[in-house]
Amino acid sequence: MSQLIEQITTGVIEGNIQGVSELVQKALDEGLEPEAILQSGLIIGMNEVGRRFKVAQMYIPEVLRSAKTMHAGQEFLRPLIAGGKAGRVGKIVIGTVQGDLHDIGKNLVGMMCEGAGFEVIDLGFDLAPEKFTEAIKAHQPDLVGMSALLTTTMRVMGHTLKAIEEAGLRDKVKVMVGGAPVDAEFADRIGADGYGHNAVSGAELARKLVNAA
Amino acid sequence: MIPETNHPTPLAVVACQVMQPALVPLIAESLMASTVFLDYGLHRSPDLMQPRLQEVLGRIRTPSRVLLGYGLCGNGLHGLQAGEHTLIVPKVDDCIAILLGSRRTYRQQFHAQPGTYYLSAGWLEAGSHPLGEYREYAEAYGQADADWIMDAQYRHYKRLVFIAYSREELERYRPQALQVARYCQRWDMRYEEVIGSDRYFRRMIAILKQPQTGDDGFVVVPPGGRIRKAQFTE
Repeated sequence: MSQLIEQITTGVIEGNIQGVSELVQKALDEGLEPEAILQSGLIIGMNEVGRRFKVAQMYIPEVLRSAKTMHAGQEFLRPLIAGGKAGRVGKIVIGTVQGDLHDIGKNLVGMMCEGAGFEVIDLGFDLAPEKFTEAIKAHQPDLVGMSALLTTTMRVMGHTLKAIEEAGLRDKVKVMVGGAPVDAEFADRIGADGYGHNAVSGAELARKLVNAA
Repeated sequence: MIPETNHPTPLAVVACQVMQPALVPLIAESLMASTVFLDYGLHRSPDLMQPRLQEVLGRIRTPSRVLLGYGLCGNGLHGLQAGEHTLIVPKVDDCIAILLGSRRTYRQQFHAQPGTYYLSAGWLEAGSHPLGEYREYAEAYGQADADWIMDAQYRHYKRLVFIAYSREELERYRPQALQVARYCQRWDMRYEEVIGSDRYFRRMIAILKQPQTGDDGFVVVPPGGRIRKAQFTE
C-alpha cells in the first residue's frame, strides 16, 4: 500500500504527468484515503522538488513538469477530499507584485495552499498595491501572499504592505511573502508575518498563520 | 585601452561570461592573465554563485584588488567573503543596468515596460535566450512539452530588447537577435533595439585601477569584509 504512495511521490518528482492519475486511481482502489494520497504522496513529492530546485539539482522545466503532475493528481482527488469544499482552513489572496510578471512560483503556492485546505483567490501578476487592498476589502481573506522574482521588484512588497496599513486593513489579515530573492530577514524588515522559502513551506506557513497547523 | 602600470596592489577580474565581449577590449593585456570569466549559467541558481565565486577568489594567491563583473544577481553575491582581497562590485541588481550603461537607464526602461526580456551579444553568444531554451527543452522533453514549458515562463512578456554597444555590434548580432524575436512572436512580444553604453564597463576598469576615485556606483568591500545584499540598496 505505502509502495503506491511512494510511486506517486516519485511520479511527482520525475514529472510523470500521464502516469500519476493512474497511480492515484490504483491507490484509491486499494482503499487509501484521498487526503493521505494528497499529503503523503503528492505534496511530499513537491516538497522534494522544492529542495532539489534550491540546490540546482532540478531546474524550472522539471519543476514545471512536476507541478503539472501534482496538479493532475490534485484535480483527480479534489471531488473526493474529505470535508468537501475548499476553504475549510481559511481563505488566502495571492498575487505577484507590481512590475513583476513572473507567476510560476506564485501559482505553485496557490496550488499547495489549496492542497493545504485553503480557498485560494489568485489576483494574477504585476499588481499595483491598491489591487491587494481592494481584494482584501472584497474577499475578506485570512491571509495575503505576495510574490516577486526579482530583487528590483521585491521592494514593492514593502510598498504594498504600507498601502495595506494605510487602508486600515493590516490587522484584518496576515501577510506572507516569498520568491527567489526573498528571505526571513527581508520579511521581518518590511513587517510581513512570515516568509516561505518554497511553495510547500509557504503552504505550511499559511496553516500556521491561521492556527491550523 | 587603459594602460596597466605602477599598481602596487595586484589586480584581478572575476566576471560573468556575459560581460566578456564588452570587457575584454577594455582590459589591458597584462591584466588578462589574472582575468577569469565564469559560466553564465550561474545566474539560474543564485544559491550556487557565492560558493563558486568564493572558490575562485580562494585561488587568487596574492592579496589583490578584485573587480567582480556581477550585480547582486538575485542575491547570488550575498555573503561573499573578501578574505585577503578588496572586492569591487557594480552596485546594480543585475547585468542589465551595466549593459545599458547606468541604473537610471535601466529604471527608465523598466518603467517603460516591466515585461521586457533583454538580449545582449554575450547572452546571444551563450545561447541563453528563449529560443535557445526552447531548443534545449524540445530535445529533452519533445516539442509539445517544450511548448507549454516555454509558455509558462514567458507568456506575460511584452517586449524583447536587444542591447548593443555600437552600430557594428548591432549589425553583427542582428540576425541572431531577429531569430529570437521571431520565436518570441509566439507571445506577441515586440522587438526593439537599444544602443547601450560601455560607460559602466569603463567605470569598472577605472575604479579597479584607481579606487580612490570613490565612484558611488560600486560596492567596495575591504579585506576581512563580506558582501551584504543591503549594500546594493543603500
